[in-house]
Amino acid sequence: MSILAGSHTKVIVQGITGSAARLHTKVMLDYGTQIVAGARPGAAGEVVCGVPVYNTVEEALLHHQIDASVLFVPGRVVKNAAEEALDAGIRLLVIVAERVPLHDTITIVEKAEEYGATIIGPNTPGLISPPEHTKLGFVPSQYYTPGPIGVASRSGTLTYEIVSRLTSAGIGQTTCVGVGGDPIVGLSFPRTLALFEKDKDTDAILLICEIGGTMEEEVSELVKKGKISKPIFAYIAGRTAPVGKRVGHAGAIIEGNRGTIESKLQAFEGAGIPVAFTPADVIGIARKIL
Amino acid sequence: MKLYEYEAKEIFARYGLPIPRGRVIQEPKMAADIISEIGGPVVIKPQLGVKGRGKAGVILFASNPQEAIENSKSILGKTIMGEKVEMLLIEEKVEVSSELYLAVTVDYSMAKPVMIASSSGGVDIEEVAKEESESIRKIPVIISRGILEEDLDPLISAFDAFDSSVQSQIRQFASMLYHIFGDYDAEITEVNPLALAGNGSVIALDAVLNIDEDSLFRHPELIKRRGKNEEEFQLEQLCREMSWTYIEMDGDIGILSSGAGLTMAILDLIQQGGGSAANFLDTAQMDADGIYKAFDLFYQNPKVKLILVNIFAGLNRCDDLAYGIKRYLRDHQLKVPLVVRMIGNREEEGRNILKGINVEAISGMEEAIEKAIEISK
Repeated sequence: MSILAGSHTKVIVQGITGSAARLHTKVMLDYGTQIVAGARPGAAGEVVCGVPVYNTVEEALLHHQIDASVLFVPGRVVKNAAEEALDAGIRLLVIVAERVPLHDTITIVEKAEEYGATIIGPNTPGLISPPEHTKLGFVPSQYYTPGPIGVASRSGTLTYEIVSRLTSAGIGQTTCVGVGGDPIVGLSFPRTLALFEKDKDTDAILLICEIGGTMEEEVSELVKKGKISKPIFAYIAGRTAPVGKRVGHAGAIIEGNRGTIESKLQAFEGAGIPVAFTPADVIGIARKIL
Repeated sequence: MKLYEYEAKEIFARYGLPIPRGRVIQEPKMAADIISEIGGPVVIKPQLGVKGRGKAGVILFASNPQEAIENSKSILGKTIMGEKVEMLLIEEKVEVSSELYLAVTVDYSMAKPVMIASSSGGVDIEEVAKEESESIRKIPVIISRGILEEDLDPLISAFDAFDSSVQSQIRQFASMLYHIFGDYDAEITEVNPLALAGNGSVIALDAVLNIDEDSLFRHPELIKRRGKNEEEFQLEQLCREMSWTYIEMDGDIGILSSGAGLTMAILDLIQQGGGSAANFLDTAQMDADGIYKAFDLFYQNPKVKLILVNIFAGLNRCDDLAYGIKRYLRDHQLKVPLVVRMIGNREEEGRNILKGINVEAISGMEEAIEKAIEISK
């Protein structure tokens, strides 16, 4: 089992004619993702890796059932593409682009809430469900293997670094969700955890966190209220990052008392969530929990 | 991107928001002209990117041309709170009867813009926010709907103690401030203090306007604004072009890695291991060209005593990146040691390329970091 997407999920790739999109459409198809259509204004009639391309998502929907869209479009046009997909009725969007304007993200997230849709990202490698051989985005699948851990992360490469070690240690995953590195993302940690809580194959949840923001603190509150009963463990990047500077993700900036490492460690301790000091320590904690 | 006060005030003025009369100067003697034009006492404000000028006591006053020149001289060119003062804003001194507060910013947990108002503005607003939160009014905004007249009622209730003329001026001000926030893709726009002047009019004594960097393509006039200096401007350009996050630090290990979270984790491991980083360079996507340009940047930085490269090739290839390193070392005599950690696609091929130029590729991240710390000590 998995959360959010599985082998049954029918996917459209927006911006499919771009070079990165072409590459990752092929990689996603090779892994097993069911990509049924692509969209790109002016490119109707083209075929990319055997996938038919339409001008718009709405046009594609005349010919296919579509459950999810992966947006391979640059940050500055994400808002238009996301609104197009939402208005056409798509209810799961993966926005991989970096540098989406802040006000555009707010607008997209607001619209998704109105429609009851889920946005993953922006600024995410996407999600991967190894037991279902499905990935939406550009997560390198070779580091993932089926198993009992659900992973939610704010980071890309750090996730590959840590998950590849889990995989080497024989500890597989149900679904790994990159929630995105921006200060505002669609699907947050708390909502991702609620999905893992309901997934019968997920036995434990790994959170790969960063300083900045308040998602980690919100998770701790949920755990204290008993809303999440499955064991959670965490790693936090940015313990030693200078305060007030945009080190790494825009979401990782610390302003005032908001999002400090102290605040997050204290919150996790209060909720009984063990925190690995180094990436290597994550494996030991995973073994203990399972 | 944080605009200077005078830049923010220029934008405020275009939206018809009341600001004090004044001008920005770079030469102390210009202060005399402004005071003659205004014909009364002036306030002299260094234009800085950091907050807290009021508390630091670097806002000065003058009541005659001589004093204006003297006081301008005393701060122009000085370093205040770590920043060199290159410009002063000289403006009329306003008779203040009350200091108020207005802001539009983003509540990141709610994922919404919020408007904030308080009748207790001034240098202690942070303390006010902590201690007497009932004097602070906050309203979330539905971004697709914007702000309508009646939406402002709960905000303006912060100013119940003032007469209706004052309230209506603040209402207009707040509504215009929201327009500026939207039109300029602001992260925050703040007026503290918003002064109620002795004559009953409301006027912005300070102005903060921070623009979302990722929206700058919609504001080309702001990209071209005067940089702090040419060198910094060049570096910012390079980072934009390469999609780098580059930050200088105080230590001696130059870090080149890809991905924000992983680069932060490496920084943590270096500091935890007793080493210190000279910089933080996160390339969104590592490629041979990026390696070449990054090495160039490190090469020119005398603080970098060792270069640590972390390659985790998930989508890219180790051999490509190794070739980037080889190409750089062919063109340049590297003066500092190099530690390379490399795993992922075509690792063996990459390792062999590096071996050919006498660079050992380490596969363990912690091992590479330990080695870097040991050599740098």
